[in-house]
Amino acid sequence: MASFFATKFLDFARNDRRRVSALLVAVGIFASAIALRAAETLPPKPAGYFNDYAGVVSKDQALRLNEKLAQFERETSNQVLVAVFRKMETDSSIEDFTQHIAQAWGVGKKERRNGTVLFVFIDDRKMYIQVGYGLEGVLPDATAFDITERHIKPYFKTNDYADGLATGIDLICQAIRGEYTGDGKTNAERSSRKSGGGQMVFLVIFVIIILIVMRSSRGRRGYGYSSLGGPFIGGWSGGSGGGWSSGSSGGGFSGFSGGGGSFGGGGAGSSW
Amino acid sequence: MNRFPLVVGRVLPLLLLVFGLSGCGYNRLVALEQNVNKKWADVQSVYQRRADLIPNLVNTVAGAANFEKSTLTEVTNARASVGQVKLDPNKAPTDAAQLEEFQKAQGQLSTALSRLLVVSENYPQLKATEAFQNLQAQLEGTENRIAVERNNFNAAVQEYNTAIQSFPTNMYNKLFGFQPRPFFNAQPNADKAPEVKFDFNKPPPAPARTPGAP
Repeated sequence: MASFFATKFLDFARNDRRRVSALLVAVGIFASAIALRAAETLPPKPAGYFNDYAGVVSKDQALRLNEKLAQFERETSNQVLVAVFRKMETDSSIEDFTQHIAQAWGVGKKERRNGTVLFVFIDDRKMYIQVGYGLEGVLPDATAFDITERHIKPYFKTNDYADGLATGIDLICQAIRGEYTGDGKTNAERSSRKSGGGQMVFLVIFVIIILIVMRSSRGRRGYGYSSLGGPFIGGWSGGSGGGWSSGSSGGGFSGFSGGGGSFGGGGAGSSW
Repeated sequence: MNRFPLVVGRVLPLLLLVFGLSGCGYNRLVALEQNVNKKWADVQSVYQRRADLIPNLVNTVAGAANFEKSTLTEVTNARASVGQVKLDPNKAPTDAAQLEEFQKAQGQLSTALSRLLVVSENYPQLKATEAFQNLQAQLEGTENRIAVERNNFNAAVQEYNTAIQSFPTNMYNKLFGFQPRPFFNAQPNADKAPEVKFDFNKPPPAPARTPGAP
């Protein structure tokens, strides 16, 4: 069956080159049209908690607000993010788009689903608070709307983004504070500590094994000792160096690492 | 008599292989089916949430002076008819017609609600009240949740349907009672805003209509 069609196509191709190239171009356009429609480009995972991609807030203030949100995670385990963009790069509605982004970023712990993201699109003059499943009880839609419409919007109308965002952050944190307790570390800090600790345990066991092997081989062959020692000691110091350096965080800036929380479409927004 | 060991020797291992491979396939199908049922339960709970908001909305709006009764009645009736289409909340429907009926009833409620919100544009005093604005935010939030859970449900159904219709599970899925499930589909005319026809024979309510109001 396939060979039948293949021969037919080859006859067709041989007879009329132009028709074939037109067909191929049409197929190409069709395929790329499908590809373009299918993909919605979501912004990549953010580095920190307070992400001002539009540059509307001063660097000091941004750093201060970032640390405030990181500290909030340490105390309550809730991950609250702020993402300020210039423009909304999508054809879908803001509630759709921001839900996809929040879900992709995995804000909030996986089991608790306690993430919240305040999205602001400066040129579109729209903002939206996306609330994760686990926080819908303490930050219901009416409260989210109240925050955006009656507290942040007045500041934004006068282009005072810094105060508007600071107010929004305070009110969001205030609303969700009691729900969960944290353990004094952010997700980013916990995962780097964990890998450091794990590496240390592994290295200790490794060293013990080496010592046992060296002890047993010394009795039989002299060569075994030096050939085992060299590469393993080199590997050991490299591994331990790696473990310790991953434990420390970059000076002053607390990075964000998503816990895998999911979002159910809760939240509300306003335009100004 | 001579053939018997040959048959056993060749056919039996083949059968064991097929069912052995599908052994992990069977468990996977069960897991996927459970996922579909769970997502269906999530869909039901967000629809229920909307239904629970309605009485509150109706009361707030009815309190506004001279709000058009027909719109309110439409919402109340639509909510009542939604309550009558009862599907098992713990098992995803296997009958496409049943799901269609459910979707239609919910769609009527959606239309009635949109109409209510459009009509309320003509009552600026009502729109200015905090209670109404909060209700509007809640209704919009519920619609968003419905959209999200329907998408999650469709994704789960797709995964499940694909799994039961792939080889070799398509050979024995009926034996174990795995049926393909229907999807939520877009309702016809879902993207058109509801038309609102005003009855100009009735005298307009006094405080609402101001000259030049949109």
